[in-house]
Amino acid sequence: MTTLTRQDLNFGQVVADILCEFLEVAIHLILYVREIYPSGIFQKRKKYNVPVQMSCHPELNQYIQDTLHCVKPLIEKNEAEKVVVVIMDKEHHPVERFVFEISQPPLLSISSETLLSHVEQLLRAMILKISVCDAVLDNNPPGCTFTVLVHTREAATRNMEKVQVIKDFPWIVADEQEVHMEEAKLIPLKTMTSDILKMQLYVEERTLKT
Amino acid sequence: MSRDGWRKKASEDDGWGGRGGYMAAKISKLEEQFQKDAPREKQKDGTSSCIFSGVAIYVNGYTDPSADELRRLMMLHGGQFHVYYTRSKTTHIIATNLPNSKIQELKGEKVVRPEWITDSIKAGRQLSYVQYQLYAKQKSLNFTSVCAQGKQDLLSTNDTSKPSPNHPQSDNIKPQPSHTQTLSKEVLRSTHANHTANFTERTNHQLDVRLNGSCSIIFEEDAERPRVNGIHDGDDDNACALLPGGSQDALLTNGYVHPVNGALKPQDSFAEHPPHVVDTGSHQSHLLQTESRDREEPSCSSAGSKSNSHQRSLISTASPAKQPGLHNMQKDLHPKLTSNPGTSAQKGNLHDHTRVRLNGSYHMTPNSSNLADSSNQPGRSGQGAEAGIISEFFSHSRLHHISTWRNEFSEYVNALQSRRRTAGGAVFSGKEKLKKLKANCSSGSLMAAPQVRQSCILHVDMDCFFVSVGIRHRPDLIGKPVAVTSNRGPGRVAQRPGANPQLEFQYYQRKQKQYRKEKTDGDLEMTPSPQCDEVPHNGVDLDLAALSMAEIASCSYEARQAGVRNGMFFGRAKQLCPDLQSVPYDFQAYKEVALSMYETLASYTHNIEALSCDEALLDATNLLVELGVTPDDLARAIREDIKEKTGCSASVGMGSNILLARMATRKAKPNGQYFLRSEEVDDFIRDQPVSSLPGVGRSMSSKLTSLGVSTCGDLQQLSISRLQREFGPRTGQTLFRFCRGLDDRPVRSEKERKSVSAEMNYNIRFTQVEEAESFLSNLSMEVQKRLEGAGLRGRRITLKVMVRKPGAPLEPAKYGGHGICDNFARSVLLAQPTDSGQLIATEAIKLFHAMKLDVKDMRGVGLQVQQLEGSHADPSGQGPSRGRSIKDLLLAKQPAHSPKKDPLAQDGLTSPSSSRAFSNQERVTPPSSPPSTSSDPMPGTSKGGFYHPHTPNHVRTCLNVSIEVPSPSQVDHSVLEALPVDIRKQVEQSWRHREEQPSTSSHLSTPPRTSSSPPPGPSLGTIVLQFPNQPGQPCTTGIILELPDFSQVDPDVFAALPRELQEELCSAYRNKGNAQAHVQAQSSAVEQKNTFPQLKQPAVGKLKRRYKKRNASPAKKGPSPQKKLFPGNSPAKSSPSKMLPLPLKQPGLKTENVQCPSSSSTDVPETLSKFNPRPVPTLAGAYEFSDIRTLLREWVTTISEPMEEDILQVVKYCTELVEDKDLEKLYLVIKYMKRLMQQSSESVWSMAFDFILDNVQVVVQQTYGSTLKIT
Repeated sequence: MTTLTRQDLNFGQVVADILCEFLEVAIHLILYVREIYPSGIFQKRKKYNVPVQMSCHPELNQYIQDTLHCVKPLIEKNEAEKVVVVIMDKEHHPVERFVFEISQPPLLSISSETLLSHVEQLLRAMILKISVCDAVLDNNPPGCTFTVLVHTREAATRNMEKVQVIKDFPWIVADEQEVHMEEAKLIPLKTMTSDILKMQLYVEERTLKT
Repeated sequence: MSRDGWRKKASEDDGWGGRGGYMAAKISKLEEQFQKDAPREKQKDGTSSCIFSGVAIYVNGYTDPSADELRRLMMLHGGQFHVYYTRSKTTHIIATNLPNSKIQELKGEKVVRPEWITDSIKAGRQLSYVQYQLYAKQKSLNFTSVCAQGKQDLLSTNDTSKPSPNHPQSDNIKPQPSHTQTLSKEVLRSTHANHTANFTERTNHQLDVRLNGSCSIIFEEDAERPRVNGIHDGDDDNACALLPGGSQDALLTNGYVHPVNGALKPQDSFAEHPPHVVDTGSHQSHLLQTESRDREEPSCSSAGSKSNSHQRSLISTASPAKQPGLHNMQKDLHPKLTSNPGTSAQKGNLHDHTRVRLNGSYHMTPNSSNLADSSNQPGRSGQGAEAGIISEFFSHSRLHHISTWRNEFSEYVNALQSRRRTAGGAVFSGKEKLKKLKANCSSGSLMAAPQVRQSCILHVDMDCFFVSVGIRHRPDLIGKPVAVTSNRGPGRVAQRPGANPQLEFQYYQRKQKQYRKEKTDGDLEMTPSPQCDEVPHNGVDLDLAALSMAEIASCSYEARQAGVRNGMFFGRAKQLCPDLQSVPYDFQAYKEVALSMYETLASYTHNIEALSCDEALLDATNLLVELGVTPDDLARAIREDIKEKTGCSASVGMGSNILLARMATRKAKPNGQYFLRSEEVDDFIRDQPVSSLPGVGRSMSSKLTSLGVSTCGDLQQLSISRLQREFGPRTGQTLFRFCRGLDDRPVRSEKERKSVSAEMNYNIRFTQVEEAESFLSNLSMEVQKRLEGAGLRGRRITLKVMVRKPGAPLEPAKYGGHGICDNFARSVLLAQPTDSGQLIATEAIKLFHAMKLDVKDMRGVGLQVQQLEGSHADPSGQGPSRGRSIKDLLLAKQPAHSPKKDPLAQDGLTSPSSSRAFSNQERVTPPSSPPSTSSDPMPGTSKGGFYHPHTPNHVRTCLNVSIEVPSPSQVDHSVLEALPVDIRKQVEQSWRHREEQPSTSSHLSTPPRTSSSPPPGPSLGTIVLQFPNQPGQPCTTGIILELPDFSQVDPDVFAALPRELQEELCSAYRNKGNAQAHVQAQSSAVEQKNTFPQLKQPAVGKLKRRYKKRNASPAKKGPSPQKKLFPGNSPAKSSPSKMLPLPLKQPGLKTENVQCPSSSSTDVPETLSKFNPRPVPTLAGAYEFSDIRTLLREWVTTISEPMEEDILQVVKYCTELVEDKDLEKLYLVIKYMKRLMQQSSESVWSMAFDFILDNVQVVVQQTYGSTLKIT
């Protein structure tokens, strides 16, 4: 039996690993559900014991992977507050923002047995919620693109500018235009609370999409 | 196989094969006792014979007849009985059942059922044991013709009785040519026995027919040899048997098992063998006593406690199937055998045995050990060994006792002081005596004492305490070099294999040198003891291998002159001082003497600081002024007193501060007194070695030496800045002051504890992680016990681990000691202080895992809890008040204080809520209201136990504070009449009282039931009368632990209850009311914190739950809101308004703050309230979405027009959800409300929803920059 504490060096890593894995699945799924890319490039896979869609476009996959790779150090240090998948229309105005709001509870410790199955359950619920989110969202205009934003806590941005996790894949400060959304409506999708992680997913949707 | 091979094997195993002189001595002593007792027994019994001459049995585990009976029988019939198994001497092992590992160990031994003895006695001669053997072995042995007959017999026996054909008969008997005489005799008997024995009985017992021919011969040989050989196997068994469940749980058998055996008190031993004591008369008890004394003796010095090792360590090897001790045994046998003519065959045999032992197939018999347990200790068999072991160790360990004595005496002093406080002045007999003395002598010149009020501290220290206590009834030893130690022999023992004392010695020497070299190392050891100039390496020298490692706990001054020092190993001391006499430990006497010393001191003054069991500080400043005597007179009187009462001499040092007093004591010793006058201080201190300063330990003095400082005078030359640079700011300053004789530490009779810890670094040998974990849990429980004992909780938990230094020998020179170790420590800071052993255990285990150690290398484990605070926070803010009981406080302080300390207030969350609930009544509470409840019988409450009978008036003042009683007009008189007399009286009394104070009483009657509401059911009324305002809090007083909110008591359900139950509930509610009354009395500070009107919080109760909305702000109190809220509700619903807090709204409010130590309350764990740093948002206590939904539905469907407060509640809840980042739930709640409210026929509800939604949207907008999409 192993138990982990926050004091453990790898605690943050464990959380970050779990979370980034989840985010990867979620981003692919969002792209599929929101029809950003043609459904032909998606393949059905199984993750968290539920079917998910994953793109098989290598460049897209690489982009997502690189992005998350850069997000990971932030999550490890509990510096990422939100990870946002922004869906933008042709004019690069966001129409939808899938916000993963992450907070790591100040709880002292976890034990691995309860952790894994429980967290997986919660993540599965979240994935399922994403896969049906089109029911509560309006259709997007054609020709949308997406980007990933990270809201950091405090001064983490400064470090991010200094340290590039992946060469030639730097973080840049997001445009106000990308962040700000007029008359947004908020649609909460799912909240999960576990020992290691508290995360909620909600969608901000522009009232008028077209 | 060569001897070396065996040795290697032994040390490879795990090094536990060794044994010291202690066991050998013990065994020989036991034997002597046996011999001595035998004739007496024979005389007593009248019948005796010699049928067992030459037979030495060892009883393993449960037998019928019992081991003691067998011992008696052996005495009577000329045999020997071994308490410890010795392979070379024990001829037969008696057992009825053996676990697998034992079988493996004992393979090749004669393991015989006890019937052999009884039958032999019946038959009047020694029967062949072959019949009675417990298990047969597989052996391939050379088999001679000598016992052909026996063999054949056996053959036939086996054929008929044994189903398993895998035991070739030729293997069963293997006599030795050189022992034909004995053997043939045996065999003949066996043949005879074979005919008569009941074969079928044996089907379950395989036969062990190994005739260990060497036994008898070796026995004789051994007689002359020093008895340091093979001992231990038997010991294992014993130990195992003593430990309940020991063999069930392998985890236990390591490391911390030993305490049970090692530190058994005599009582325990008696308890274990009560019937035998009766049966067998004095010799038995005598034996037990000696045995147990043997076991305790060592435990007082560190050396001593360690020498329990034998029993202890062996346990650790008992459970694993491999028995390294066995190999040792074999090894020991070998040289003997080779010296025996014609033993080559034997040798071969022995090898065979071992081999066979290793690959024999055995079945586990776990219950056998259980049997053994129950037989050996009927008194304890039911006890769960696992949890109790550590605490048992600590409760039995004398060493531990001594170390805790200081606390005990501190508490004794505290008790004295508080007694004086309460009694208003104690009788100081000693002081009186001195006064008289002075009066008598006042004519003389003696009393020329100048009445200068100068502080004077007396340091009273017994002269070599252990020794003087040890020899106080042995005048022959006075004036001789005497040492208190566990060792009594010549001071030499055989070296255990696996140990490498030389290496350790070298290591310590190196380390010593290193200390001298390390000049800049800032990490200093601050040893509190000023006596650190002793031989640092324990007097070890290179031939230490053969010397006893028993440490000297204390030695007389005569011995000290010869160079013997405390803590030295006895062997070394004996070399230095050949005349050295050793005296055993006598803990009872130590305690007696120490106590009488403290009593003596306390007869002079109560300003005593207990330093240890034999050392105390007295602040005599006031005493001297009062008496007008000189310090010297006082010291003389005290010393005479002590000498007279204890028979031991004490030295007294006097000085103007603690430091000087202690230094003066050094000069005063032995048996003297010295007053260090302030004018002499400078000269005196200049010549003192630095090491005599407190806090200057070995490392610091070596560091100082490197600075060229050896005396305090030298130290004075150094500037403070230099000192601070070298030693750090605090230590530097302390040194600077100390070397000038400055010390401003006060004599503290009550010391604040900085940490609570439990540590064991003796005989820690884990093999598996689980063992370490369960050890940690047990250690945590011990820490919990100590924390509870001290009434403290701590936040920081530190795990200290000693790990064998890489390269250090596997086995330290000291038996079971920790050897050369690296120390590691890790700590964790908890969010909240705790004293829960479980919590500490989990944290400790986490820390342990984080350290990633090899459990096998662990040699010591300690748990420490720091950052302590009183577990019962003390309202006056005095910090932890240790050793002070609530009783003291009640007695000592003004009654006004007592409610503050009321433990009933600690009813968990009650405090904030009830305080608020009562807040408006509190102000008007008539202080002189009738003692409404004090006369009541209170079944199941803790108050009776808590309040000391001496303080009934406190009880009264506490209890009568406020019992809310509705006005007479609102009470159904039939109900009143139905009430028990006492309650009715109480109610009537309140009325009367209210009439007397009409202005305030109106306040008291919180929202009375309006006349329009239907009359309440009688039973309900009963409660309502008593407790209109009961927040749903668990009631910790009494039998009913969890009471639902009173208003949730369904009247129907209640009415359906049996009458007794109703009464019980009533009284429970009443007590709760009382509890809250207490809370109220003290809650002025707390009450303003909760001003939110809340939805009623449904408590988790036994009774039917009901979710109802109600609320009332204090301003709005009164019948009207309810009426509006609950039109047409059932009576239960119209109970008075509630104001309940959300748990969320208790910022920084510690429930512990309002609780106090009391017999009942301290037992109540408060873990529930403790570890909830961020409570989930709740709506009227509901937290699950389904509950919220039910609540909302009821709200919307039962009420036509929502109250504003309720709406605000919902808004608040939603806001909290947003803050809690639980948008999903918020979304669901909002959508549900939307559906509910917009469907409602009343447009108010729709408006209400809009209002809620608007508010929520604002919050969401503020938080997220966008609004919820509500479709």
